[in-house]
Amino acid sequence: MKKVSQSIDDTLLDYLDGNLNAADKSKVEQSLRNNKDWQNRLEELRMVSIVMNETKLSQPSKNFTQLVMGKLDQYPAQHHFPIWKGIFLLMVILLAVGIATVLVSSGAFDNTTTSIDLNQVYLSKKFINEPLPAFHFSGKLIVNIIIILNLGLAWILLDRTILKPFFQRRMQGQH
Amino acid sequence: MHGVRPSGVMTKDPEHSRIERILAGEQHLYADMVDKYKSYAYTIAQKILQNRPEAEEASQDAFIKAYHHLKGFNFQSKFSTWLYRIVFNTAISYKRKNRQQFQSIENTVIEYQGEAEGMLEKNDKKRFLHLALAKLNDADRAALTLFYLDEFSLEEIAEITGMQANTAKVRIHRARQRLADELKNILNQEALTL
Repeated sequence: MKKVSQSIDDTLLDYLDGNLNAADKSKVEQSLRNNKDWQNRLEELRMVSIVMNETKLSQPSKNFTQLVMGKLDQYPAQHHFPIWKGIFLLMVILLAVGIATVLVSSGAFDNTTTSIDLNQVYLSKKFINEPLPAFHFSGKLIVNIIIILNLGLAWILLDRTILKPFFQRRMQGQH
Repeated sequence: MHGVRPSGVMTKDPEHSRIERILAGEQHLYADMVDKYKSYAYTIAQKILQNRPEAEEASQDAFIKAYHHLKGFNFQSKFSTWLYRIVFNTAISYKRKNRQQFQSIENTVIEYQGEAEGMLEKNDKKRFLHLALAKLNDADRAALTLFYLDEFSLEEIAEITGMQANTAKVRIHRARQRLADELKNILNQEALTL
């Protein structure tokens, strides 16, 4: 059996639903008389309607209503973090990031370095005889990492405290 | 017949006065609303979750959410449509949460077969339908169920499932076509095993 096209499927569904006008209905019936593929597909689609029409409403448990009524007052109080607080925190973070960026670009951290010398760690001398390397970090790199982490934090804050509550309220407003 | 039922001119929903009284403090009246809408709410949740205990929990949760957001209900729409939208969204979020505890389609079928043990012959049609429906996505399954419950206009189905009315119509058509294909495949496989 050949598979009929999408548009024929749509026409047959409209025919089954009684959504066609008299002229279109007559054309479909004509095609059905002449085309076995159309007839088979109509039967397949009709079967869907037959089995789906037998779908009945499912019933919840007998004490459903009592359970709901019993839980009404146990609903957890929503922690509404006001949007203005979120905006304030976001501004503080962005300000800190801005200041740090200005300082980095003006070269304030260019000559700042810190190092971790593993040989100075008491335990290492006790257990390891070989000399261990020392790690040097530039202040500029550390501040850049802090800036990136703050930007990540600002993004999360923007999403959780401003965008999400805003869209949730908008959705509730639509109901 | 499943034609496009017009949503009609919006008349005042008889529930509106009851909602006003609930908001004024008559909490006990909410029990009547739960009684009235629980079957549809539970059916929607069950079609999405395909698991009875979860559907029960999700639909209860939805009623509780609806109660606590009743102040936000805009009296321009039908209460039932607003409620079922909450049920739909709650069930979808339950489904997302439970995705971590992955449940395959096969497992769902096994659960169903266990439940219907001894009644398979009588319920063959129901079983095939269940298998075929399991292949559809959650939103399509819920939309299709609402469509065949014959209680909702396409506009209402669209509102409940968060789609545009035209999109809802197309998706219901596609879901019916897919269901027809799946049923045909299942019946062919059954015929081969005989």
